[in-house]
Amino acid sequence: MKTEIVLSGVGGQGLISTGEIIGEAASIYENLFATLTSSYGSETRGTFTKSDVILSDTNINYPIIENPDVILCLAQVAYDRYQDKFLDHTLVIYDTELVVPAPNARGRHIGYAFKQMSLDLGNQAVANTIALGVILKHTGLLKRESVASAVTDRFAAKPNVIGINLKALDMGISLE
Amino acid sequence: MNGEKRFIEGNIAIVEGALAAGARFYAGYPISPSSEIAEYSSQMMPKVGGIYVQMEDEISSMAALLGASVAGKKVYTATSGPGISLMQENLGLGIMSEIPAVIIDVQRSGPSTGAATKPAQGDMMQVRWGTHGDHSIIALSPASVQECFDLTVCAFNFAEKYRTPVYLVTDESIGHLRETVTIRTLAPDEVIDRRKPDKGTVPEMFRPYNYDTDMPAAMPPFGSDEYLSRTTGSTHDEKGEFCPTPENINRITHYLTNKIEAHADDICMTKKFFLDDAEIVFIAYGCAVRSAKSALERLREEGVKAGLLQLQTVWPFPEKEVRKVLSSVKMTVVPELNLGQIAGEIQKYNDYGCKIVRANRVDGNLITPEEIMQTVKEAM
Repeated sequence: MKTEIVLSGVGGQGLISTGEIIGEAASIYENLFATLTSSYGSETRGTFTKSDVILSDTNINYPIIENPDVILCLAQVAYDRYQDKFLDHTLVIYDTELVVPAPNARGRHIGYAFKQMSLDLGNQAVANTIALGVILKHTGLLKRESVASAVTDRFAAKPNVIGINLKALDMGISLE
Repeated sequence: MNGEKRFIEGNIAIVEGALAAGARFYAGYPISPSSEIAEYSSQMMPKVGGIYVQMEDEISSMAALLGASVAGKKVYTATSGPGISLMQENLGLGIMSEIPAVIIDVQRSGPSTGAATKPAQGDMMQVRWGTHGDHSIIALSPASVQECFDLTVCAFNFAEKYRTPVYLVTDESIGHLRETVTIRTLAPDEVIDRRKPDKGTVPEMFRPYNYDTDMPAAMPPFGSDEYLSRTTGSTHDEKGEFCPTPENINRITHYLTNKIEAHADDICMTKKFFLDDAEIVFIAYGCAVRSAKSALERLREEGVKAGLLQLQTVWPFPEKEVRKVLSSVKMTVVPELNLGQIAGEIQKYNDYGCKIVRANRVDGNLITPEEIMQTVKEAM
């Protein structure tokens, strides 16, 4: 088993954090191998960023994604940059208000208004966590409890955001 | 294995390794892509009774390290290529005065400010020869987050054992790679502490330097009530007093090289993968190991007998293991994120007509397994 997940968008959307949660859930709570690499510019906010998460039941060598199984795109710049990497089996998850998918693009597209949904929940910073819930629902990669534990660990220093992130996670998992 | 399993980046694992090895002093000037080492050290040092000092630049950082080390602390700093350039003068003082210190170079694309957030392996020769004069140096290069922890411990041990500055040379991709690591509490026999003068040493007879063997003298802290220590960057004698006679210059130049090169068997650490039946062998260090391992697996699937020699120690150069490979296979492939700095070093030992093929990438991205395989296929 090897799953390659690209989390892409712009700086400030919390994508490295989402990658850490997936990696921690997999490696600490499910005994899998996990790697996370991020590409970033000297600037931190507003420019293209991506995180590559690989999960495997064996040791992971080259940590950069070559055949993406899942690509999360939370910005048009990210979608445009990755479009030629989509494979037929790639699950492309995108924000319907921030990304216009290309006609005839490969991959199975699933879109939700993540940003708007996070605003409805009361915190724009959890759009990434709703998207994480969607990834879990459509891949069955990790147990909800493992991810919830990783969320709790990740925000140990900011306990007031744990609740809303768990809510966002469950919202994503329950989306039809 | 005992210890705590964590999902953290290489830079953080380096700090954990430093703490486990007993480091209690950090001086530095934060720079991408090493800044997390400074940041996390600033959080952790006060918690373990250590000291963190943010200096005004890397020249003073290296000076502060040497001062704290002679006062008795295990010390470290972290920087990237631009900072390594500035540290060279005081690094030379550390070599000449035989002062233990660990310098972490998280390499980025250069020269000069280059591309601050992109990985490279372009400092391999700078760490070897960056400071002036004949000398040897120890440099270790981790290829995983676990090795960031483990090799940092080794770096401190070598620094103390051989009384010398030691480099841990990593790069942006390993520094920022997150993966699972086990952070252990080390057993007492896994940590080497600085050698104190033997019990009963008469203070008047104590000498801070010893050039009769290829191992350094004991090193009590400067300012000790018992022993007088003296040092200078100028060529000195056993008392640490200026002594520029031809005989003394000659023996010290030999000594500073020999104390490391004569212990290459102790210092040189390598890992071997599928070498027994290999016909094509990758020789790699640091991040390029990851790409080479993937290329190796795919080549094996295609029936090509590939193997890998990983250099965890890059300096002193693991000549013995490299010679074994060069003398037993027809082709070695050296993937590097520079234009062949270590491939050139390997060539020096190629008395066997082995074909040495370079696989280089210098655009700020990791070399891919496919690129390495392509290079192999073109060379076959």
